[in-house]
Amino acid sequence: MKKFGLTTTLVFTTMVVAACGGGGDSTATQDNDGNVVADNEAEVTDLGSEDAEIELSFWLFGATGYPELAAEYVEENPDVSITFQEIDMEDHHNNLFTALSAGSGAPDMAAIEVSEIDGYKNAQDRFVNLYEMGADEIEGDYLDWVWEIGTDVEGDFLFGIPTDIGPTVMFYRADIFEEAGLPSEPEEVEALIQTWDDYRDAAQTVLDETGVVMAPNAETVYNAKRDQAPEQYFNESDELILEQSEFVKQAYDDTAQMIEDGYIGDYGMWTPEWGAAMDEGSYATLLAPAWMQGVIKGNAPDQENWRIAALPEGAGNWGGSWITVPSQTEHAEEAYEFLKWLLAPEQQLKAFENMGLFPSAPSVYEMPEFAEYTDEYFGGQNTAEVFANAALEVEHIHKGAQYGEVNTEILEGLNNVYDGIESEEEWEDILSRVQQRISR
Amino acid sequence: MAEEYSAQAEKTSQKKKSAFSRRTWDMIAGYSFISPFYILFAVFGVFPIFFSFYLAFFRWDGLNPMEFVGFNNFVIIFNDPLFWKSIYNTVIIGLMGTAPQLVVALLLAFALNSVLLKYKGIFRLAIFLPYVTSIVAVAIVFSVIFSNQESGLANTFLGFFGVDPITWTRSEWGAKFAIAAMVFWRWVGYNTIIYLAGMQAIPNDLYEAAKMDGATVRQQIWHITIPMLKPFIIFSVFTATIGALQVFAEPHIFQGRGGRPEGITIVLYLYRDAFGSNFFGTASATAIVLFFIIIIFSSLNMYFTNRIGRSKKVEVK
Repeated sequence: MKKFGLTTTLVFTTMVVAACGGGGDSTATQDNDGNVVADNEAEVTDLGSEDAEIELSFWLFGATGYPELAAEYVEENPDVSITFQEIDMEDHHNNLFTALSAGSGAPDMAAIEVSEIDGYKNAQDRFVNLYEMGADEIEGDYLDWVWEIGTDVEGDFLFGIPTDIGPTVMFYRADIFEEAGLPSEPEEVEALIQTWDDYRDAAQTVLDETGVVMAPNAETVYNAKRDQAPEQYFNESDELILEQSEFVKQAYDDTAQMIEDGYIGDYGMWTPEWGAAMDEGSYATLLAPAWMQGVIKGNAPDQENWRIAALPEGAGNWGGSWITVPSQTEHAEEAYEFLKWLLAPEQQLKAFENMGLFPSAPSVYEMPEFAEYTDEYFGGQNTAEVFANAALEVEHIHKGAQYGEVNTEILEGLNNVYDGIESEEEWEDILSRVQQRISR
Repeated sequence: MAEEYSAQAEKTSQKKKSAFSRRTWDMIAGYSFISPFYILFAVFGVFPIFFSFYLAFFRWDGLNPMEFVGFNNFVIIFNDPLFWKSIYNTVIIGLMGTAPQLVVALLLAFALNSVLLKYKGIFRLAIFLPYVTSIVAVAIVFSVIFSNQESGLANTFLGFFGVDPITWTRSEWGAKFAIAAMVFWRWVGYNTIIYLAGMQAIPNDLYEAAKMDGATVRQQIWHITIPMLKPFIIFSVFTATIGALQVFAEPHIFQGRGGRPEGITIVLYLYRDAFGSNFFGTASATAIVLFFIIIIFSSLNMYFTNRIGRSKKVEVK
């Protein structure tokens, strides 16, 4: 009896402490396995009846609008209830990593962002192979390159089903182009800037005539060039090919050259100045993915001069997520059934209309609601079409678990070049820094 | 006789037994009252400390099985120029951020303690206010002040004196200065209040006596305030040193997630390995090195701060 009292006290104290642990504004919630999940500003949505047989949990980040979409599914499937937990991207991935590493506490479904997914690919035992759930039947609904990101190198283990993607384009400021005496209508700009040489010529003109830089920072330019390369930092056996492969070096050299020519500014990504400059017009182009539309609208709500054109020499992908089913789940089949429904083309169209998530299922591009989509903010341009064309251009390139390590060092190197360090010297330094990192 | 004996023995033993069990019971109750802390501490404090020592000898990405690598993690970080740079940065930023801060805090406390000052409450509150701000918010505001752009606040200000704009986030001293400025701004009020509390405990007679003997303000500070504040100074130097060795959020926000060589500190270096890249082995090895560095610095501190008071006494004699 006494012992029982003690235990209760202990449990109670632990819970109080755990609930306070996240700071003043934390909300403690319970996932379907009864684990206490304390998170800052986690938004939890419960769908379905409380006595549903199957209780699914779903961890998400960002504004997806999926809970609203899923309300329909739960209505049609009364035996299923779904609990959504939405938090910011970094916390989401930290929580997921911890739960997978610890071997308990993971949800039945979890989103993984493109930059994180390769890090999980050597941990197949932590996930359900969705091919075993019959996912090959829906493979044809999705763009090949998007689907391949969700599989292992051999292509026989499927980690996740694609949600949205981030095909890259060239956002540009029509007023700056006009002031520089260049054509400013999207079709004209696309005709003008077809290659990187054209881009450089335009940059020179813009710089001469208006004094404005062509691109905000080295990162966006390098990203665009890098993603056009047929191979990146690692080969499919995950060996570093940075020294042997000419493509990445070429992208680095070209970017360094543009820095030296003064075409590139120093507005670091996500800094307040970078955002403010979207309104002020301190740079003429922004090479960025579809989801950047929302960022631009947020930073420059009254600006009327942003337009969209295709990237010179081909698009890449920047962003997007895959929904995985961690192997800790007891309801893999039900989770898969739900995902099959949620990420089907019809629902992807709705996600696009609701939240602007760009579809990874190409059949959506032909649906009239999508194909005729125009955006007043971008001068009434048919933006969906530009992005759809970009999406169809992308090709899958193997990245590897330590892709991010290498990329960070190269971007740091480009900043050093901006600060005046000779680019060849910096490249040698990048190589040695990369060796240092990946040997850990 | 024998029966009586045994009955008595039984009685005493019964008494003893009940006394003993009562003591045990008290003991259990006592321990259970303090146990919540110790259980939590064991789970979230002791275990991670020892696990991190263990982890330093393994290669582990958090998902795949651990692989024993002996001292290799230490070899890797000792061969990394950035590791040494992070130690250097930590020490330099620590000196830039805390040494002037303690001196200024002392002077501010002296001013706040002065009988000449009106509206003491408001001034005390104002000076302490930075301490209660969120460190992340501070770092974001300072990032805007120390913006790389020519139009940034710090660069505009320097422009009045004809100084060229500084790339604050990426220049060797600019980054250190900006980070040290955040540390200074946030902690100076905390130390001021501690010193102020110490000063109010100093009997006024000492100052009156000194004034009668014609001591200047400087002499009063030097010969009365500082020696009497010794325990407070030791405390603040101690906490400031440990705090300085653990500077993290400021460079983390100011220079981006992974930091840059100009401003990366040991803890940021560690964080980047563990949570940016899932290199838990080298991160743990770094933590252990940091552990010993803190021990060394704390002992040095103890040695020097103890001497402050002693030399005073000799002088007084």
